[in-house]
Amino acid sequence: MKLLHIEIQRCLRVAALCAMVLLVSARLFAQEHASGSHPSGQADSTGLGSTEGQPQRPADARDPDAYADGFEHMGMTHADRLAIGSMLAEELEFVSGNEGQGGNWHLQASYGGDFNKFRLRSQGLAADGPLDPTTSVEGLWWHGYSAFWGTVVGIRRDFGPGAHTWLAFGIEGLSPYWFHLNATGYVGEDGRLSARLKASYDLLFTNRWILSAALESNVYSRAEPDRALGSGVGNLEIGPRLRYEVSRKFAPYVGYVWEPSFAGTADFRRADRHPVTEHRLVVGVRLWR
Amino acid sequence: MQPELFGLPITASGLSRRRFLQGAAATFVLGWQRPAWAQGEASAPSELSGPDFDLEVVELPVNFTGSKRVATAVNGLVPAPLLRMREGDTVTLRVTNRLREVTAIHWHGLIVPQAMDGVPGISFPGIAPGETFTYRFEVRQNGTYWYHAHTLAEQTGLYGALIVEPRTPDPDRTDRDYAVVLSDWTDESPMQVFLNLKKMGAYYNFAQPTVGDFFKDVSSQGWSKAIEKRGMWNRMRMSPTDFSDVSAATYTYLMNGTPPGGNWTGIARAGERVRLRFIGASTATFFDVRIPGLPLTVVSTDGQHVEPVDVDEFRIGPGETYDVIVQMPDDRAYTIFAQSMDRTGFARGTLAPRPGMEAEVPRPDAPVWLDHSDMMGAMVAMQAHAGHGMVMTPPKQARHARTEYGPTTDMRVDYPRDNLDDPGVGLRQNGRRVLTYADLHTIGGALDPRPPAREIEVHLTGNMERFIWALDGVKLSDAKPIHLHPNERVRVTLVNDSMMTHPMHLHRMWSELEGAEGRFQVRKHTISVQPAQRVSFAVTGDAPGRSAFHCHLLYHMAAGMFREVVVA
Repeated sequence: MKLLHIEIQRCLRVAALCAMVLLVSARLFAQEHASGSHPSGQADSTGLGSTEGQPQRPADARDPDAYADGFEHMGMTHADRLAIGSMLAEELEFVSGNEGQGGNWHLQASYGGDFNKFRLRSQGLAADGPLDPTTSVEGLWWHGYSAFWGTVVGIRRDFGPGAHTWLAFGIEGLSPYWFHLNATGYVGEDGRLSARLKASYDLLFTNRWILSAALESNVYSRAEPDRALGSGVGNLEIGPRLRYEVSRKFAPYVGYVWEPSFAGTADFRRADRHPVTEHRLVVGVRLWR
Repeated sequence: MQPELFGLPITASGLSRRRFLQGAAATFVLGWQRPAWAQGEASAPSELSGPDFDLEVVELPVNFTGSKRVATAVNGLVPAPLLRMREGDTVTLRVTNRLREVTAIHWHGLIVPQAMDGVPGISFPGIAPGETFTYRFEVRQNGTYWYHAHTLAEQTGLYGALIVEPRTPDPDRTDRDYAVVLSDWTDESPMQVFLNLKKMGAYYNFAQPTVGDFFKDVSSQGWSKAIEKRGMWNRMRMSPTDFSDVSAATYTYLMNGTPPGGNWTGIARAGERVRLRFIGASTATFFDVRIPGLPLTVVSTDGQHVEPVDVDEFRIGPGETYDVIVQMPDDRAYTIFAQSMDRTGFARGTLAPRPGMEAEVPRPDAPVWLDHSDMMGAMVAMQAHAGHGMVMTPPKQARHARTEYGPTTDMRVDYPRDNLDDPGVGLRQNGRRVLTYADLHTIGGALDPRPPAREIEVHLTGNMERFIWALDGVKLSDAKPIHLHPNERVRVTLVNDSMMTHPMHLHRMWSELEGAEGRFQVRKHTISVQPAQRVSFAVTGDAPGRSAFHCHLLYHMAAGMFREVVVA
């Protein structure tokens, strides 16, 4: 009974942490979409007026159809409705580190128009040991919510032992100062919760030599022994990668990844005689089309 | 199913895209024809005179860059032949489509009936492969115009000069007369360019701020200034070097179909007066034109005579035309230099007494970042005044549409600037006399002296990250037309809520640009609106039926920056 009580408390703590990770991102997102505090046109504290950020529209905003007088556009399909397919291999790399050698990937494919897209995401790491616990594929509906932000809803399926199927919901976007943010919350088929937060920043040494700094963290409400995952913050992954854009669509790179694990996950790793902190050199290519 | 977007074959399945690409690839079916630029020292594109014209739209193997590609040509020429008409004539143009895709030719700037305007989807369905369409209309104006495909083929070479001789001879006689067609060529297919931009707005921008630039600024201005300089751009996620969507990373800039190395040459001897009819036939490039050593007298724009004004340089946007007169002081060569607004390249030619001569070719200027006034409009001046404790009449506030607060629109300008006397980014205080719209005064005044009875406000909006371009935040497909009553006089006020300059072209009706206090300034068919600028023009609803109104940057038009205008 006491054990159950402790477990419940632990779950609550982790759930709170998950919520926090999401809330930080949501806060950035919300800042842009709900900061109607200054009326359009009033200079705010930054002196930029409403050109900065996304204040809410005033109630008396102009009606764009006001000049139509009932006339309708002739029904045709235009290029502005073009559905476009794209594929991005953000990371496609050979890794060598204290966990052995193998391959790592972060892939994304999309198909759709300006406001709605179907999206496939997959990431994973297969080195000498078992599959990395983040190895998964996601099928998502992306919706362009505002100028810089979109929402995703869909399903994630893990690979390897102890795999779960999750409902996924999240936001992705470009924050002020050009940070690409990606926060996804997950609800497992048995009610477990998880969250994945990613952030990245491109530092341009030149317009072709680009240092991309990426950060990822995963949080879990319950342990999953088959994946050697404890509850709480599982890991943090920090990876600078220096790429050279031979063309926009083809950029070989080298990088270094430092990945400590925490709490229960660290305990599992110690017990399995795996290093608690992984580090690896990576060589790969960033591709898209 | 092959729905047409003003000639762009589009479906949701991407099927027609493949067809499009195949159509472009499998084309060495016609005999080899020499591309126009390789026609030796030919000093002008070949020419046809009316009133009857037979034009055949064909695929043409070309080589502008060292790689063989297929261009879209008229009668085997890129640029298409110069068409010479006479004011008052009724002309007949039989256009035969020998391509594998629908085509359509628009007579840019000519006032013609709806069915003769050449816009697929508005004027007519377009000209199907193998078909001949006969355009017939009365020419009711004179001056320098041009014609082009109202499809993606505008990028692949379908454009040419169109000159209407006045009924009564022009009193301003010149000894020589050349059309100077400025354009941009890419070895990529236009659909590929569009897709690249849709996936990455900055695809062709290799002048983005770098770490090196930052430390250069730190050493010259100190840390706080260097950080401040970037602060606003970075907070707003805007690039200070977003001048052109497409740069010399893929473009080769052409003068009369000739790359810079080919040196198109117009013959001109000492003492001769030369009329140069500059035509902005590019799809995505503003050119800054000058002839080092020669002052330029601008005598007309968009086919309309203006009070002559002497300048060293002028900016010409896609769709615009400028007639310039120069006087050759001696028998030397002079370079006609047209650098792209983003400074990544240039088109170049020569005025000289003999072919084969050349003068020094300047290097493009260093790119200058967009100004804070390009983002904040009149707010900059307001803050400057406030800082000095001065009182200033508040500038007129823009009225944003409710649809500008969604995913299509990444910025809005509350207090746009009204300064027509601004030459624009990269030309400010450059030490040369640069033409501005404030310098242009159409001779004879407005066609319609009535003051506008009402105002139509339209905002030019975009989302650079996702390459969405729209008016009032609404793309063409989602928009309703703008309605004008027959013969009513209205004021159209454009507010540029983006960081790019947009050449806005209204078909079949004149746009009479207004200066301060609504005074008539200059009559044009294509008006370039600078970032964060407000521009008003008066228009009379004298073209019954449906017309196009759009940004003349081809890829902005394709992305949705387009409206129908209905006069009924």
